[in-house]
Amino acid sequence: MAFYEQHIHPKPTTFLSKYVFSFDHKVIAKQFLWYGIFFLLVGGLMALMIRWTLAYPGQPFPVIGHFLFPTSNGAVPPDTYAMLFTMHGTIMIFYAITPILIGAFGNFCIPLMLGARDMAFPLLNMLSYHVAVISGALLLGSLFVPLGAAAGGWTSYPTLSTLIGSPGVGQTLWTLAIFVLGVSSTMGAVNYITTIITLRAPGMGYFDMPLTVWGLGLTAILNAIFLPVLGAGCLLLIFDRVFGTTFFLAGAAATTGTGDPVLFQHVFWIFGHPEVYILILPAWGIVSDLLSFFARKPAFGAKATALSMTSITILSTLVYGHHMFTTQMSPLLTQTFMTLTMTISIPSAIFFANWLGTIWKGSIRFHSPMLFSLGVVFVFGLGGLTGLYLGTVTTDLYLHDTYFVVGHFHYTMAASVLLGGFAGTYFWMPKMFGTIMNEFWAKIHFWITMLGLNGVFFAMMLVGYGGMHRRIFNPFIYEFTQKLIPLNTFATWSAIVMGFAQIIFVVNFVHAVFFKKEKASDNPWEVGTLEWTIPSPAPHYNFKEIPVVKCGPHELGNPNLSNGRDYQYQTEELA
Amino acid sequence: MENKIFTEPVLKNTESLGFFEMIQPPEDISEHGHLIDYLFNYTTVMNIFFFFLVCIGIFGFSYLYHRKRHPKPYYTYGNKKTHITVATVIGIAVFLGIDLNITRLSNNDYTGIFINWPDESKEDVVKVQVLAQQWAWNFRQAGADGIFNTQDDVVTLNDLRVPAGKKVVFQILSKDVIHSLYFPNARRKTDAIPGRMTRMWIQFNKPGNYDIACAEMCGTYHYRMAAKLTVYEEEDFNHWLAEAHQIYNSVNDPEDPNIYWGWKWNSTSSNKKLGMN
Repeated sequence: MAFYEQHIHPKPTTFLSKYVFSFDHKVIAKQFLWYGIFFLLVGGLMALMIRWTLAYPGQPFPVIGHFLFPTSNGAVPPDTYAMLFTMHGTIMIFYAITPILIGAFGNFCIPLMLGARDMAFPLLNMLSYHVAVISGALLLGSLFVPLGAAAGGWTSYPTLSTLIGSPGVGQTLWTLAIFVLGVSSTMGAVNYITTIITLRAPGMGYFDMPLTVWGLGLTAILNAIFLPVLGAGCLLLIFDRVFGTTFFLAGAAATTGTGDPVLFQHVFWIFGHPEVYILILPAWGIVSDLLSFFARKPAFGAKATALSMTSITILSTLVYGHHMFTTQMSPLLTQTFMTLTMTISIPSAIFFANWLGTIWKGSIRFHSPMLFSLGVVFVFGLGGLTGLYLGTVTTDLYLHDTYFVVGHFHYTMAASVLLGGFAGTYFWMPKMFGTIMNEFWAKIHFWITMLGLNGVFFAMMLVGYGGMHRRIFNPFIYEFTQKLIPLNTFATWSAIVMGFAQIIFVVNFVHAVFFKKEKASDNPWEVGTLEWTIPSPAPHYNFKEIPVVKCGPHELGNPNLSNGRDYQYQTEELA
Repeated sequence: MENKIFTEPVLKNTESLGFFEMIQPPEDISEHGHLIDYLFNYTTVMNIFFFFLVCIGIFGFSYLYHRKRHPKPYYTYGNKKTHITVATVIGIAVFLGIDLNITRLSNNDYTGIFINWPDESKEDVVKVQVLAQQWAWNFRQAGADGIFNTQDDVVTLNDLRVPAGKKVVFQILSKDVIHSLYFPNARRKTDAIPGRMTRMWIQFNKPGNYDIACAEMCGTYHYRMAAKLTVYEEEDFNHWLAEAHQIYNSVNDPEDPNIYWGWKWNSTSSNKKLGMN
């Protein structure tokens, strides 16, 4: 299938060309992984500060509170609180999930699983990482400017995000950082799409690709189409802030002509809803593959799963209006968006059925990647079903902008994606770093994380149903929220438990990468996709000979196999 | 030293509440709030049913097909006719069972009630203009002349008083950033947007004092952009309004431009036919 010759260049020798300015997709993947883990910890710490404030407003944040907020006796002050939840959302979505799921796994898995020696555009790939670093620096820098970081929520609705509501330079830097990150992700997306089209190994049709690649490819398509839309919105917002235009200004402040703040919401959500699927599709792909690998049988209805993911990708572009029901769009638009939103259920239910069909009558091995994958099925079931309340307009009128929304999207985006990311990390660890992580501690990590995240996110939905609205610094000044204090406290302690469980992961990960002597075998999980046909860790330019693909990615448990294995490589003729 | 500055209010005693009392939504004081509660509960029942099936799948299969109990996997691509039928039936069942039903229910409530604007030329409705600003709610009810934006208007800050049993129509604008007028006790909210008027109508039924909040992030003090809602018996309301007319007529300074933030009432009955909101 490969459209052109893939040359092998000599190995880089200097430190800089090896680890910093490397063209190698595997190195870039690791760079993105470290970048993502770093931001994950920053965003996680911010989450703990937010949760602490919601349970104990006005009380000093433990240990580091007095150092961070000396003027308020160690307690988070209200303006800082707004910055915290804004930066938490931004960091988690754009700087933690995107680099890990798309940057790291996209870069690592796509060429390896397709049997390619590198991405189609290695230089563009390297640039995409370095542009992401610039964006990260802009964002972190915005924390230290006068008047503080952006504080308008991760959605940054104008007119709050224009000079009327946020006069500081922090909001401008935030907008710029998102724009620059959009450039980086678009570079990556173009690269992924081209690689998938041109560099599949000979004999590999689209349905012979592992579902991970399907998920990553669909994500890349959405990224390539919709990130420029967000970029355009950000650019207009920067114009409003810096050059005095009035695209999004209205009301008393619009002295030189009026724009429309709701226009930004349209631009934002036409990107923002696909973004949800941009984040979750790679996780779906990974889970679809891992369930099959560890149940030791072919993925149930793999073609249908791939096509369901494709139709969700298409539908995701048509439903964004359900984020804006309370702005009173015309009733016709409201009804249309509500109905279109509901149709997403069909493909979702089909691939859910396929997931369960995959483990049905399998011979399940409960290794840590499998536990995390089953965890994704569980939490995404909850997250997906609770979306129904928000898709129907009348219940949304009550639940919109309450903690119910927060709980729902943390289930879908935070819980599912995080568990999917962990599943992938544990699974590809041997191929990435040549060692395997400690299985015992991986399982402990899974169970505590699972307990903690369900505690915090389910409690969020409950307080949301109780009426507590989002982004409030002290929820207890209202009478109707006061009875929710115990639930908020419970959520906070669950979050603390979940936060501490991640220390287990970090220690396990760092130990496996730097200190573990014992090397992993070439194919520790006994699966047949192309990345497992080569040594661990993957060598320079991956494949000495470009492999020729002769069967699908999920050939496990075939009773005709006679060589003592219960799986076969994609390079082998179907038994 | 304990810092108390942010925990101003005296907290209610919540110790005695059981778990299920705790997670109840605020008391419903409106005529149609129960529709939203009904739809919520209906969706919940259906969700529990389908999530229960998912859990049977996850936990049941995990137990039954553990490699110790089930060493030989069943080799199938899931492309047999029965397999495809089952997966499709599940997909369609979810769509028909939950989605279409709740869409229909929600759509009926939405078009039949929530955006079915009362005909102001025939019905006696209470009209309120709302202007949101950082971080307060301005409410305006017309004076004895029934015309908005005149000297005798009843203009209150963070204090809304309405009668029980009558339809209250709100016209909402914002001065600076986007806010959202949120009545937790009526299950309703509508954004207040600068330069674009939004509307909402609610019929309150239970007299008493309740909270109004801002639901859309609007700046540092978003969390305390609170107002009080007082629902009077109709008689008490008329009494209060008559008194307020007199008071505000003398308090409002006709020369002060600040009192004229209102606008000409934009009747809903005139553009109802257009399908506008």
